[in-house]
Amino acid sequence: SRIAFGSLSKIAVRRNSLKMFRLAVLLGLVAFCAAKLPIDHCCSAEDRNIVQEQWQTLWKDTESSRVKMAFGRNLLLKLAELNPAVKGLFANVDIDNPTGGKFNAHAFRILNGIDMTINLLKDPEGLDAALDHLADQHAVRSGVTKAQFRSMGAILSDALPRVLDDYNSLSWKSCFKLILTQIASKLSD
Amino acid sequence: MKTAIVLVLAALVACASASGCDSLARLKVKGQWSRAYSSGSDRENFVIALWRAFFAQAPEAVSLFSNVGNGDSSSGLFRAHGERVISGLDAAINLLDQPETLKAELDHLQEQHEPRNIPAKYFTVFRTALGNVLPAQLGRCYDKEAWKACFDVIAAGIQGQ
Repeated sequence: SRIAFGSLSKIAVRRNSLKMFRLAVLLGLVAFCAAKLPIDHCCSAEDRNIVQEQWQTLWKDTESSRVKMAFGRNLLLKLAELNPAVKGLFANVDIDNPTGGKFNAHAFRILNGIDMTINLLKDPEGLDAALDHLADQHAVRSGVTKAQFRSMGAILSDALPRVLDDYNSLSWKSCFKLILTQIASKLSD
Repeated sequence: MKTAIVLVLAALVACASASGCDSLARLKVKGQWSRAYSSGSDRENFVIALWRAFFAQAPEAVSLFSNVGNGDSSSGLFRAHGERVISGLDAAINLLDQPETLKAELDHLQEQHEPRNIPAKYFTVFRTALGNVLPAQLGRCYDKEAWKACFDVIAAGIQGQ
């Protein structure tokens, strides 16, 4: 009976250590994927490297300000085209005159916001604080919805490969999912 | 004789203002900025150095940043804020050669700064901080006069002058 008891306890220990192992793997995955987001959208360290490197190719030139403006304008106008309610949200930055100073400056700011978050990707704590601030800035604008951010995600997935020679769609999608989800986190659907 | 002196003086004044933030100085500042500002963690280090140079001159100014981590670069909250502010400066510098859009951006920055009642001296402190950190990034290419003149254009716009 002593032998039987011994082998039973061995099995119990094995089962326990298997459970512990599973738990450790799970905890590791959760930590790796920043806990808040579904596990299939990691934006891993390597994804962040890729996104930063590919994004950087757009800004080699001193005239990148004009690229920023044109790209930002394009994104916002497309968003307004696909979501008619959006147009009114940008009335105070003169969306009706999209090549004027006011809208240009706004387009530049939006792109600089995206640029800032991409450049903070390797500083999770700084990124988190920056995204939280952007979430607050959008939460006070009534009429802005999560659906509009999903639409922006789709517009970016379509637009980025058209301006970037090298575009790793999985890395970009997972990192933009993280960025846009957090900016939209204080909005309603 | 008097007329001649006045003419010479007027010419000197014209010369001095022409060497201020003119269109060539603006192009130069833009080019130097894009090199110094860099990207990724280099950019973050640059931004942190800039704020350290700022607070080294004016330690009491941390009170202006009490809701964003008190100027402490070990806080993510302050790193994000520091990046945000410099991103506004980046916009203004990049738009220096596009007057209509520059005006719109400076108006926007003025609206953001107005309720905070920031004493004018801190704009000078910030200019000095740039003067400390930019040469470290740019070496001998740093053009002190062009930066001083163009920074003053931006600072005046943010202060609504």
